[in-house]
Amino acid sequence: MAGSIIQVATTTLTSATSNVTLTGIDTNDAYMVTGVGVGVETNIREVNMRVTKSGSAQSDSEYDYAYKGLVSNAVFYNVSAVNQAFIRWDSDLGTGTSELSNFIIYLYNFNSSSEYSFGTLEEVNVNHDEKASGKAGGFTHTVASASDGVNFQGESSSNLLTGTFTLYKIQS
Amino acid sequence: MAKTLEQFTTECTSELQAKRDSSDGIYKQVNNERLPINDSDFAQMVIDCANYKLDVQDNGYIKARQLAYGSVQDQLDMQYWDSVNSTTTWADHIAKVKSDNPKPA
Repeated sequence: MAGSIIQVATTTLTSATSNVTLTGIDTNDAYMVTGVGVGVETNIREVNMRVTKSGSAQSDSEYDYAYKGLVSNAVFYNVSAVNQAFIRWDSDLGTGTSELSNFIIYLYNFNSSSEYSFGTLEEVNVNHDEKASGKAGGFTHTVASASDGVNFQGESSSNLLTGTFTLYKIQS
Repeated sequence: MAKTLEQFTTECTSELQAKRDSSDGIYKQVNNERLPINDSDFAQMVIDCANYKLDVQDNGYIKARQLAYGSVQDQLDMQYWDSVNSTTTWADHIAKVKSDNPKPA
């Protein structure tokens, strides 16, 4: 049989929620997590991310990431950091109409107990200035142990308000 | 006056505890199950909140300046015309961006 995409977990927010966890990564396939219509409760906040191990979000300072910020009304910018406690997807979302984030993150090597976990991101949003922006880049969690999912939080412990988060397995 | 991480931690603990104790509560969603946060979640939220506030206080001016400087192309254009017209448009622009977004003392 040819490869297929299999839904592993999904959740849709219907009210304010501090964080969202999707787990179920238990094979060596690549996985993909999507966020559609992700909105925040507080103006000028973004969605941050962590990997989970045995269901627990990892807040160790082991995240390295780099990406390009693409902004429709300003200069493109670079973001890079090492040894961070979370992955910061700099979006500066607002609370106005359609000020939402939409993304696909591909997850690699998560099930490996002897390698780092990797991911790549493509994102588009309307930010708090009502301008289209997005980003493209990637991250690693530099701990050589298996990760079983992802966790999303509102920046500065603010709530996420809307969005559908779905984890898929890309079965080879 | 700049606050310390400890002061922000106290501030965040108070803010988040009030939120947790309110009728809204603080919830998390795990694989489509909605659950109240536990003490471990709360402790992490306090850390995240305090670190965010400290970062904004100490480093917020950097991003603000990056966005306000404008593109390298635009800045080079300003410098070219400054050289032609003996003006100080570029230097004035940079000075204004810096004064509008001051580095914390």
